[in-house]
Amino acid sequence: MSSPAMQVRTRIPRFAESAVERARLTVVPRRRRAAGRAPFLALVSMVLLAGVIGLLLFNTSMQQASFTNTALEQQADRLAARQQSLEMELEQLRDPQRIAGAAQRLGMVQACSPAFLRLGSGRVMGEPCASTAANSLQIRPRPPVKPAALNPPANVVTVEAPAAQTDAANSSAQPERGTRERAARDGKKKNNR
Amino acid sequence: MSSPPSHAPTPGVRRGSPQLRLRIGFLVIAIALSVLGARLVQLQGLDPNSYAQMAAAEGTTEVELPAERGDILDRNGRPLADSVAGMMVWADPELTDEHAADIAAFLYKKLDVDYVSTLAKLREHQVDGSDVRFEYIARRVPATLATEVVEEAERLDYEGLGTRRDPLRSYPAGDVAANLVGFIGTDEPLAGMERTFDTLLSGTDGSERYEVGGGNRIPLGESTITEPVNGADLHTTIDQDLQWFAQRAVRQAVEAARADSGFAVVMDSRTGELLAVADDPTYDANDPAGADKPDLGSRALQGVYEPGSVQKVLTVSSLIDQGLVTPRTQIVVPPALNRDGRVIHDWFGHGTIHMTLTGAIAQSSNIGTVLAADRFKQGQLYDYLRAFGLGQRTDIGVRGETKGLLPPLNSWTSQLEDRIDFGQSLSVNGVQMAAAINTIANGGVRVSPSLIDGTATTDSGQQVGTDHTTRKRVVSAKAARDTALMMERVVDPEVGVAPGAAVPGYRVAGKTGTAQRVGEECGCYDGSFTVSFAGFAPADDPRFTIYVVVQNPRNGGGGGSVAGPVFSKIMSYTLRRYGVPPTGTRPSRLPVEW
Repeated sequence: MSSPAMQVRTRIPRFAESAVERARLTVVPRRRRAAGRAPFLALVSMVLLAGVIGLLLFNTSMQQASFTNTALEQQADRLAARQQSLEMELEQLRDPQRIAGAAQRLGMVQACSPAFLRLGSGRVMGEPCASTAANSLQIRPRPPVKPAALNPPANVVTVEAPAAQTDAANSSAQPERGTRERAARDGKKKNNR
Repeated sequence: MSSPPSHAPTPGVRRGSPQLRLRIGFLVIAIALSVLGARLVQLQGLDPNSYAQMAAAEGTTEVELPAERGDILDRNGRPLADSVAGMMVWADPELTDEHAADIAAFLYKKLDVDYVSTLAKLREHQVDGSDVRFEYIARRVPATLATEVVEEAERLDYEGLGTRRDPLRSYPAGDVAANLVGFIGTDEPLAGMERTFDTLLSGTDGSERYEVGGGNRIPLGESTITEPVNGADLHTTIDQDLQWFAQRAVRQAVEAARADSGFAVVMDSRTGELLAVADDPTYDANDPAGADKPDLGSRALQGVYEPGSVQKVLTVSSLIDQGLVTPRTQIVVPPALNRDGRVIHDWFGHGTIHMTLTGAIAQSSNIGTVLAADRFKQGQLYDYLRAFGLGQRTDIGVRGETKGLLPPLNSWTSQLEDRIDFGQSLSVNGVQMAAAINTIANGGVRVSPSLIDGTATTDSGQQVGTDHTTRKRVVSAKAARDTALMMERVVDPEVGVAPGAAVPGYRVAGKTGTAQRVGEECGCYDGSFTVSFAGFAPADDPRFTIYVVVQNPRNGGGGGSVAGPVFSKIMSYTLRRYGVPPTGTRPSRLPVEW
């Protein structure tokens, strides 16, 4: 930078040299204060460091948020599933069949006919009647009938009548045994229904 | 660079030619760049997708976001079918083999699976020489239970158990309305509303793609999400409790009469909404495999039968509407009626009796009805029956509904018309007939029945539901009222045939039916019967119409003794449930004889 200035000056004719020298205005080379490089470097590295650390922190916090997100999502899923299971249980408890069974175990019966009490006049509307077996509701199916193979006839052992008994008694015992046998079988069938 | 020209290197052999070196350098760079360029074209130009996929597959997870299936609800919003988050529990036999016995015992306790077969699955890691790394242990387990079990197994150091999504459909009330609701198979709906309204219920699955590192989603990584569209709920007009009651009442009657099957239809007289369509035998929707195939549908809609004397209500109301008869019309009823060689009898033996038309209904006289119906002109009855809805589907949204069979008018002979007068030689389905009888209850206006609250589209594209209810006058209000008064005499303990159908304190109008039944084997009348009872209450301001049918009772009972008490029970329960007080007016006193 300084060299072209020098060249210019050399071409100027030399008279009153010192005066010219004094009066002459020259471009003063800008004084460059040798700014210390250290602060600049420090600043840059500070900025850099802050950026890196900031980015790191940001990433870490994002990652943390992601962990939390995953964990919370899992928890939400679990709770939603739990809610649904509980609702299902509730619906199973509300099953009319279960409620009817519980009511029956408490000794409750179906009403015979609807009747209303008019609160204003105290009048009963409808014909209240007693509940009987005729209007009971059977809430469970009858158990299936056992196949014949699983339902053998009663094993009847015929015992000789004691010798002391008369012939007449003997002859009357015969049909009686038969009826008893039939009755036993019928009773069994009924139980199996 | 700023060196003065004097410093420029003079050409010299010793330091080599820079031009040449530059050229060679450029050439090398050009070659290298063109190689990279070619590679770029190869990657991006020729087959970019497969490479993109390979890149994406590395660490990218795609999960299905399942749409939740809509519930099927009853009229009070209680679920008849309910979706629950479910999971399957599976095992890797290679890992479970070591502690197989312990794990099997553990699973048996927790999941109630069969011990022996589970043990075999846990051990069987070689089948035909190939490795087995996956065995189902339990399917459709509620998600909470499945997760709990697998977590506990991990705590106990049992390795090789896992879970996967496996949605669960639950039918909380088991067999209640199973005939209508249907059920779902392993992958698809197989029957009933589940299948008919599948498009509405199933919704659309969504999906989500995101990058994963160490089990966690990478923030700011690629992430695309397609939200699932959940299925909509299906609202029915069924009343779950009433449906349950009706099913139990029908089952009790079917069992007591040792009958083949039975059904009951409960209808709101004014709106045509079906409150219950009970079938027996039916099945548990949670275990459809355990039922006989014919029980998996609804006989009330899919079965046909001849309605028998219940049909007389339609015949007589049409006659009154035409002004041809009145309830007091006097008829001389002979012991038997010979019509062109075919003899018509009544169900009870009698000499020549003097009945009013009311008497013919109250005593269910075939001869009396046929004699009264002689006043019809050709084709008149046919038009009325069409208007009552016979021979046409009710289209309420139940698959496989039958049309019934109303013989075409050109095939009607006088003998056929005689038989149709009292409900033989034509067939119907249950809901069709209930809607026809309900026409009388609704003052002569037929209101189309519906099973869906609001509107819904079936899989065949048909719009069904209460929003599409149609009303059409069939007989005059006076004809309907007169018919109802006549029907009231049916349940009269002195003059009627079905005192068992009465509800104490209420005016009940009804009609019995005992029809010869076409057997499945011979396709002819095989001596078995279809017994039925249709009626409504309160007779002077009807709220509910109930129709009960029992097929082939083996205890010798008729419509009055088998179906009547079921009607009474269900009607009594319905009136109580909906808080309908007795009207308190004087019952019908129409004369039955003259």
